[in-house]
Amino acid sequence: MNRKILHTPDGVRDLYGEECRRKRQLELKLHDVLNSFGYQDIETPTFEYFDVFGRETGTIPSAELYKFFDKEGNTLVLRPDFTPSIARAAARYFVDDEQPIRLCYSGSVFVNHSSYRGRLKESTQMGAELMMDASAQADAELIAMVITALRSAGLEEFTVSLGNVRYFQSLVHSSALPEETVAELQALIRNKNSFGVRKMLEQKAETGELPEVKQELKEVLSALPSLFGGREVLDRAAALAGDCAEAGQAILRLRQVFEILEEYGLSQYVSFDLGMMSNYMYYTGILFRAYTYGSGEAVVKGGRYDLLLRYFGKDAPAVGFVIVVDQLMNALSRQNTGSFSGNSILKILCSEKQRAAGIRKAGRIREQGEKAVLHILPSEEDVLKEAQRCMDAGAVSEAEEPGIKVLRMEVS
Amino acid sequence: MRYLTIALAKGRLANKSMKLFEEMGITLEEMKDPNTRKLIFTNEEHGLRFFLAKGPDVPTYVEYAAADIGIVGKDTILEEQRKLLEVMDLGFGKCRMCVCGPESAASLLRSQAQIRVATKYPNIAGDYFYNTKNQTVEIIKLNGSIELAPIVGLAEVIVDIVETGSTLRENGLKVLEEVCDLSARVVVNQVSMRMENERIMKLLQGLSEVITGKE
Repeated sequence: MNRKILHTPDGVRDLYGEECRRKRQLELKLHDVLNSFGYQDIETPTFEYFDVFGRETGTIPSAELYKFFDKEGNTLVLRPDFTPSIARAAARYFVDDEQPIRLCYSGSVFVNHSSYRGRLKESTQMGAELMMDASAQADAELIAMVITALRSAGLEEFTVSLGNVRYFQSLVHSSALPEETVAELQALIRNKNSFGVRKMLEQKAETGELPEVKQELKEVLSALPSLFGGREVLDRAAALAGDCAEAGQAILRLRQVFEILEEYGLSQYVSFDLGMMSNYMYYTGILFRAYTYGSGEAVVKGGRYDLLLRYFGKDAPAVGFVIVVDQLMNALSRQNTGSFSGNSILKILCSEKQRAAGIRKAGRIREQGEKAVLHILPSEEDVLKEAQRCMDAGAVSEAEEPGIKVLRMEVS
Repeated sequence: MRYLTIALAKGRLANKSMKLFEEMGITLEEMKDPNTRKLIFTNEEHGLRFFLAKGPDVPTYVEYAAADIGIVGKDTILEEQRKLLEVMDLGFGKCRMCVCGPESAASLLRSQAQIRVATKYPNIAGDYFYNTKNQTVEIIKLNGSIELAPIVGLAEVIVDIVETGSTLRENGLKVLEEVCDLSARVVVNQVSMRMENERIMKLLQGLSEVITGKE
């Protein structure tokens, strides 16, 4: 016998019914917020040349990309991340623009990550990018958008964690640590493993691999994993940075962004995390993520990437974020919040004889902005039977005309 | 108040961890009853919930925030490769991950021969041979009694946890190379760490005080 495959491959899924409707509503709400800040929609292709997502751009590692070939033998990639695509498009179409460019987008991204085990390989992201603006105001605007969007989605308990990649980078640059050690340090700091950092530095000092690590640097590096929390963290971080001017600058930038967010009246949602690291190598400045209950990972991720557009031929500073819509959906449903409206539909039952009247009735209802389903049955008797069945299932009779019944029902 | 949920790896680690919590003044009478069929234990006073899970599942629970905190061996963390914050070394359950085999296998490791490696930890073994030693090997996953493999000729060497080495000695095997040191670790979900920062840090602080008090 022919065994038909009816289920979807691992990592992708169907979405239908209540869940699908909620997701659409959520996307509309988030999109409205992005538009309300004056961001213009942009669409980029689902797949692009490999170079857009290659090693140089610093996005997802090549092993986790969905790759295939076109007829000419070029390697194509399903987009794993919107930012390089948007950067490419912006560099292509807004070449001479010296004015800030505000773009927003939404769609699927594809990451072939084997260790995801049970996590989706195709997920929906919605995001915004602000280009040609290097100011702290730009950083703050994006963070304000994130907070506004999450609130409009119905979240109240969440925190947007702010970091700055330049803090860690400037510290290690000034020390001339070997690249491998830096990578190891990054991994440990990302895991908030302060005992690990200390142990590693001690071990390396013993074996003579790190002859000259200044005591101050050791202290900052082992403190980094614990440098997160409220505003007081910035004071500690600034003190630890000592005479490293660039690290001081990095902290100053975070202060400025925080002050602007106070003017927005949104600073209560903000916390700091100087040990925040991203897998994306293209980030060059502030980095932020939004966290909430019910989702095991960040629901929003973003940051500043001042050098990425240069790769596509335009020298432009930029900052952006994506909302991981699927994670946000998870969080909303686990927290039992989210302002989703019900789905009430008018069902018009009529017999074949009354068909013309039924069609007119449905048209009038739809014009009034209600949803109407027209159900034509063979006889009057069937109409009565079907009406009874619907009422038993919870429908309420709304109107009645000869041979036509209008019932209101909640559809999920 | 929202409960903080803590997942413990079943067995010795769980018993030792519970002793630590007791020293901090967090007790769970129900959990001590060896006949209990309950899966989850609550301490109302501190707003904590504990459950026991199989070791390799603890990182999974924590990654998906089904548990905020987990206590589990470093071996499991390395093997499962989950997205977690590894925040603390509890210092107990100390042992080593080693490459073991008969004396004769030592030369195979030196000569970069293409050998078979039996292990319960294919990720750790793979990472060690491919990325640290740059040696191409064939990894065979087994689920227990790994020491058997070299004896019956299934593999040349094994990668396994060594505590005292007595099982190895009795079977004519010895430690050939050391992969890494292991011990019990505290892991925390990345979101919980931000959302419940104060409570988690207080708990960790308490644990670290109990541990350093012991040393």
